[in-house]
Amino acid sequence: MDIERFAREREDRWRRFAELLNRAETIPERELGPAGMREILQLYRLTAADLNRARSLTANPEILERLNALAARGYRFLYRSRGRHGEGLLPRLSRFVLREIPQAFQQEAWAVLVAVLALLGGALVGAGAILARPSAAPELIPTQFFTESPRSRVERIEESEERIQSVGDAALFGAQLYVNNIRVSFLAFSLGALTLVGGAWILFYNGVLLGAVATTYYLDGVSVFFVAWVGPHGSLELPAIALAGATGFAAGRAFFFPGDKSRGESLRAAFPRLFRMLAGVVMTLLVAGWIEGSFSQFSAKTVPYGLKIAVAAVLFLSLAFYLFLPRPPQAEPSPVGGGGR
Amino acid sequence: MRTGFLGGRQSRVVLTPEHVPLRLTPAGAGSRALALLLDFMLVVSATQAAALLFNLVLPAGVATAARLTLLFALTFGYHVYFELRRNGRTLGKRALGLRVVDGRGLPITLEQSFLRNIVRVFDFTPVFYGLGGAVSLLDRDGRRLGDFLADTLVVHERTPLRPEGSLGGARRHGDLAEAGTLRRIRNRVSLEEREFLLAVALRADRLEESARYDLMQEIADHYRKKLEIDAPNLSGESLVRDLIAVLWGSAENTARTSSPRSQSLSS
Repeated sequence: MDIERFAREREDRWRRFAELLNRAETIPERELGPAGMREILQLYRLTAADLNRARSLTANPEILERLNALAARGYRFLYRSRGRHGEGLLPRLSRFVLREIPQAFQQEAWAVLVAVLALLGGALVGAGAILARPSAAPELIPTQFFTESPRSRVERIEESEERIQSVGDAALFGAQLYVNNIRVSFLAFSLGALTLVGGAWILFYNGVLLGAVATTYYLDGVSVFFVAWVGPHGSLELPAIALAGATGFAAGRAFFFPGDKSRGESLRAAFPRLFRMLAGVVMTLLVAGWIEGSFSQFSAKTVPYGLKIAVAAVLFLSLAFYLFLPRPPQAEPSPVGGGGR
Repeated sequence: MRTGFLGGRQSRVVLTPEHVPLRLTPAGAGSRALALLLDFMLVVSATQAAALLFNLVLPAGVATAARLTLLFALTFGYHVYFELRRNGRTLGKRALGLRVVDGRGLPITLEQSFLRNIVRVFDFTPVFYGLGGAVSLLDRDGRRLGDFLADTLVVHERTPLRPEGSLGGARRHGDLAEAGTLRRIRNRVSLEEREFLLAVALRADRLEESARYDLMQEIADHYRKKLEIDAPNLSGESLVRDLIAVLWGSAENTARTSSPRSQSLSS
């Protein structure tokens, strides 16, 4: 067959297909209608066949490139995945927050356990090191955390004016904190996902710092102050960082150990879970940031230690129950087309 | 054949359910960096513009908090929005003819978009995409770490070529330089034949002299007939090499290169 004739005869059809795709990519699917959809499908099949045919007829890049691009666009349009239809935003959102996020963490409980152990292990090592040799504190703890002795720091903070004087102060400090914390959690996730060991290390290292700092406060006899100042936000922030690391481990397992699936398949199977876990981490850190920017900053003159510690305990338990309390099974609304393709 | 090291790019072939192979051409690090720079500037200027407004209507601390939050949310949201709603193209990518696609050539999903943009924080370290850039230079498909984890890929979309096409770039192939001949060569030789011709020319050195001569004459005769080439002065081997030069040089290359023969066979 003569390729020039081949191209000439099909020119109109290819043009029509390109025009149809231009339109279809910009308007909602409803407006396209079943007839339009059928025509796209039809033209896609013909174009794909033309491409195969043209490959055996010619090596001319101009014809092959053009057909390849056209067929690829059709393929992308027709085989794209679609969201779940016919469910309102609000029920969708509440199901996501109340069921799907906790479920994802429960399914990856092993990863959460590993992450928590890394953080706690680090904390024990840090505390042990300071207890064994209190003079080692300045070497172990970065100087920004170690400008003065814990006791004099406590006295200074409790005697000076409240650091947070207005809503503006609280909003600004809170925003700085959650932006930074979310960025750190994304880094912990990435490190866990792409190196596994790096993720464990960053958790362990943060645990060491935490353990060491807490122990210096304990040795100086101001541990209640420490719990009251760090507790309200720390009860959410520390678990959130551990959860980010755990999500990294779950991603890393899918990435490095796909088993008998291909790497792409293994990752795709994990995507919805990873997405939900990360959403949970971000939510937790937003709340933690706001608390750290306001409530945590109040000295004993405004809010008694007892109340702050109680709030810390309530927050931590709420998070733990929210994520890990088993829920009664509920019928899935419509399993058809739910995320998979 | 080019392998994937430091910019050597290869097409990735995706097989559709209809068993039609589609080619995806990975984008190079340079165009990706430019697109990122464009997007980066857009996000920063949009945030600055919004900050002016915030400063007017909000108390000082809250305004700064809003700006910080917006900058952070936009750094993610901008990419996610455009990758989902504009079929894988942020404004910067669009300007440079790039598109993010799923590793199988499909549009990316919400989850994939989130993951590749979350890992962006890591790719961004230590300074402007130092890590991501290094990784993408080493990868055959030019992927950064976020692309690995989300199984995505940034492809270079060639602008659809003009249908009639200028098959020009004609002059430089000795006796084959006539436009009609060039067109016939480009149109009537299949991909397999093209590969075959290159393979013959590359192995010619290993053939015995007389075998080499006969083989080249035989191939040349075949194409003289098939492509209606009227060039009696051309030896068999010269004809074959000229054919290869036409077939393997891209339109621009053949127009520019003064010695297509040595160029296409220097490897």
